[in-house]
Amino acid sequence: MEFLSWLEQSSFSVWMRESPSVWAYPMVLFMHTLGLGLLVGASMVIDLRVLGCSRDLPLEPMKKFFPVMWIGFWINALSGLALVTIDATAMLTNPLFYVKLIFIALAITCGRFIGKLAFSDALADKGPLPPSKILAAASLVFWMAAITAGRLTAYLFKDVGVADLSH
Amino acid sequence: MTAIVDFATWIKATKLSAFVVHSPWVWPAAETVHFIGLAMLIGVIALMDLRLLGLAKRLPFAPLHRLLPWAIAGFVLCLMTGTVFFAGEPFQYIHNSVFWFKILFIALAGTNVLVFYVTGIFHEVEKLGPGDDAPRAAKLIAVVSLFLWIGVMYLGRMLPFLGEAF
Repeated sequence: MEFLSWLEQSSFSVWMRESPSVWAYPMVLFMHTLGLGLLVGASMVIDLRVLGCSRDLPLEPMKKFFPVMWIGFWINALSGLALVTIDATAMLTNPLFYVKLIFIALAITCGRFIGKLAFSDALADKGPLPPSKILAAASLVFWMAAITAGRLTAYLFKDVGVADLSH
Repeated sequence: MTAIVDFATWIKATKLSAFVVHSPWVWPAAETVHFIGLAMLIGVIALMDLRLLGLAKRLPFAPLHRLLPWAIAGFVLCLMTGTVFFAGEPFQYIHNSVFWFKILFIALAGTNVLVFYVTGIFHEVEKLGPGDDAPRAAKLIAVVSLFLWIGVMYLGRMLPFLGEAF
């Protein structure tokens, strides 16, 4: 707890939180939204194709969309780290935050397996097999759950924290 | 402006408005759906734009374009939940210039989509096979589309900071 208070009282956190500049806290929130769009959006497109939407879309060249996902992921890992630092006590004592992290880990794991399985199916010229489809469906569910938990973190279990931050 | 104030006054008096404001879960639930819709819209649109710009060039365009209904569904989710926010607190939006810029950007993005379909650019692009380069006009449409949709997200996120609406 002391560490968390130290973190959120560090000069970086105080500047981020209290600077009226739109380049501080608001910019980080925007980056987190942009990253979400890229990461979840690109994952969804791949999942939908694996599940059988637009079957004549060749799967193999879609591999090129994975870097879009990873760019989104890193934007969000970094902006997320900044957001946690700013409001450390509230975030790290909020159980929903950990629920969100678990769903992200599950969704990313699905994504990695889809990358291996579905794309090897594609090379075998068969189209995605049932295990790939289960992973794609699970990925969609996990991303929805991660977004839900993330959004609700701003509303529930908010009894501690430094500032009245608007999310 | 009076017509807008009248409309805001009318919507504020609806049962929907009272429901949004008085139920503790409607706002967070609508926000969650707004973000899911955002991901659907941006995901499909950005990947189509990137294909036109040369990423994953081995994808033929027509089958990729067949995923468009998912983007439209995402847009409809955002429109519906956006209406919920507006109905709940109309005055915090109509007096907020960022809100009007967001509406302007959405209108411009819509116009860009219209230009894509009515000027025949889509007809050319529809024929793009694996490895084909998109015409310059289509690339321009794609860049404008990415700029405008990212702008819409930016302005949406700035609502509480530049104009004090949540």
